[in-house]
Amino acid sequence: MNSKYNLKKITDYIWEIPQSYKSGMRVPARIFASEKLLTEILSDRSLEQLVNVTTLPGIKKFAIAMPDIHEGYGFPIGGIAATSFPDGVISPGGIGYDINCGVRLLKSQIKFEELKAHLDLLAKELHKEIPCGVGKGGALKMGLEKFDIVLNEGILGLIKEGYGQEDIGCIESNGCLQEADTDKVSEHAKKRGKDQLGTMGAGNHFVEVGKVDEIFDQETAKTFGLFPNQVTILIHTGSRGLGHQVATDYVRKMMQVMEKYNVNVADRQLAAAPFSSNEGKDYFAAMSAAANFAWCNRQMIAWEVQRVWKNVLGNSSKLELLYDVAHNIAKIETHVVGNIDEKLIVHRKGATRSFGPGHTEIPDVYLKTGQPVIIPGSMGTESYVLVGTNSAMLESFGSCCHGAGRRMSRHEARKQMQGKDLLEKLKSQDIHVLSDSIADLSEEAPFAYKDVSEVVDVINQSGIAIKVARLKPVVVVKG
Amino acid sequence: MKSYLLIPHTGETEIKVEADTLDGLFRVALEGMNRILKQDYEKELDKHISPHEILISSFDSTSLLIDFLSEALTLSTINKVVFSSIDFLELSENNLHAHLVGTKVDKFTTDIKAVTYHSAEIKKNKEGNYETNIIFDI
Repeated sequence: MNSKYNLKKITDYIWEIPQSYKSGMRVPARIFASEKLLTEILSDRSLEQLVNVTTLPGIKKFAIAMPDIHEGYGFPIGGIAATSFPDGVISPGGIGYDINCGVRLLKSQIKFEELKAHLDLLAKELHKEIPCGVGKGGALKMGLEKFDIVLNEGILGLIKEGYGQEDIGCIESNGCLQEADTDKVSEHAKKRGKDQLGTMGAGNHFVEVGKVDEIFDQETAKTFGLFPNQVTILIHTGSRGLGHQVATDYVRKMMQVMEKYNVNVADRQLAAAPFSSNEGKDYFAAMSAAANFAWCNRQMIAWEVQRVWKNVLGNSSKLELLYDVAHNIAKIETHVVGNIDEKLIVHRKGATRSFGPGHTEIPDVYLKTGQPVIIPGSMGTESYVLVGTNSAMLESFGSCCHGAGRRMSRHEARKQMQGKDLLEKLKSQDIHVLSDSIADLSEEAPFAYKDVSEVVDVINQSGIAIKVARLKPVVVVKG
Repeated sequence: MKSYLLIPHTGETEIKVEADTLDGLFRVALEGMNRILKQDYEKELDKHISPHEILISSFDSTSLLIDFLSEALTLSTINKVVFSSIDFLELSENNLHAHLVGTKVDKFTTDIKAVTYHSAEIKKNKEGNYETNIIFDI
């Protein structure tokens, strides 16, 4: 592949930008992509941004790009960087503004045929009951004291308040990062997030009713409790205004102290400080609180979905949690570097944890298979359930992609098709979209994204996660 | 002279702002952000007003601009206002002291998550005007 990056082919699905490409690179950059997707990736500035990530102090092995990579600001979206713990840097830009944006998958025990007669009512009620769109507040109003409990304790704090009885083992990190400290979260951040628990927000966030369209791995699907034509519900949202403000506050703080710690970065948005510094520790404590908020947000929405489900289908019909994963987060994890186990600060920005069988952070129910990895498609395209692998532990710091990845600006997408036309087109494919803003629909149109199946195939072929099942959307309540 | 222009960006929203003074650049950048937040905010100018005082120090004028927009965005989202009027009491390379007056809005057009430093760099162009690009995470 000819390109200005001196790209070297490592395997059919892994490419490398050598450390010699640019002065200041501390490690090479690796890209998981097919030749076709790589050509698309080269059309924007995402690889320039990936090269900038390789200059972070303390970065280990490689800066990594997933096949859904696209241009962001500072870090590319669809990137992973691991720095040494505790003296490597932590960079809020490597997590992004929507801290712990992620997905939760609920599974029913019924087949789509049994839902058909109730589908219109279910869609209408979900749209009515789940606050979605720009600036919408939630039904749950908490005093600041209780709000702090949620931020510090995550899902368990919310369950204590009576919202759900989920098996917290089926939530990444049990739905709580213990390092959370609300004293490190600004008043501005708390004010932005206080009324937003249980709200979806706007953009690419959604609640989607789907059905299992194809099973690729029967045995793992059985362990995950998935069967053909089964009705599922996928929830995609994050930490809302609270997370946005935590990131804003700490990018600014890091910028102010970089000189003190002699940290130089290639882009202001990569502002960073040593993890062991006061500023690094404070950010991690605040980010952890925001991550806990995001898990609670998905929990609240799941609780709202459960209520609607029972109202429409009756008390005996249940929805169970399959798994809940984060896409934008930093974690302290142990990985092999040069044959030695090392504790690292793993930044995932638009990437999903993909731990393989036997990992101590996986709940017993999935210990033999590996963790479920949930990859949402764009509105109107399929989503995938995969399973984490031990190859991912060696190749990508236990990570894989997070979605399809944008290929077109929102502005361009709006020019290509009007929202109402897209609505009709999807309807003709038996995909019913409900949104408060039909005019904005085309910003999230399938053609604005890469082909999620191509992206997932690269992940599958490279072995960093293996396909288990495909879900076809039937109702999308769009944020 | 002051203007702003929408620039295509794959994932986010980017604007290019230009003005013949630093004061003008800050004003037009705020106006550009307001238009993303609430496309037709001038229709609501007769609604309740909400005054805020802001004080910001940053290490250079580019950071000061981004920090100023971030603060305005934070106050906008918390108070559901669009800041239609600004009175600078001080504006230097590193410091800003201003009174903002906001108009209450029922809802925003777009949810701006944050104002980013990426691509931002205030410089003088060939015409001698100040200009910079700004990327908003939406």
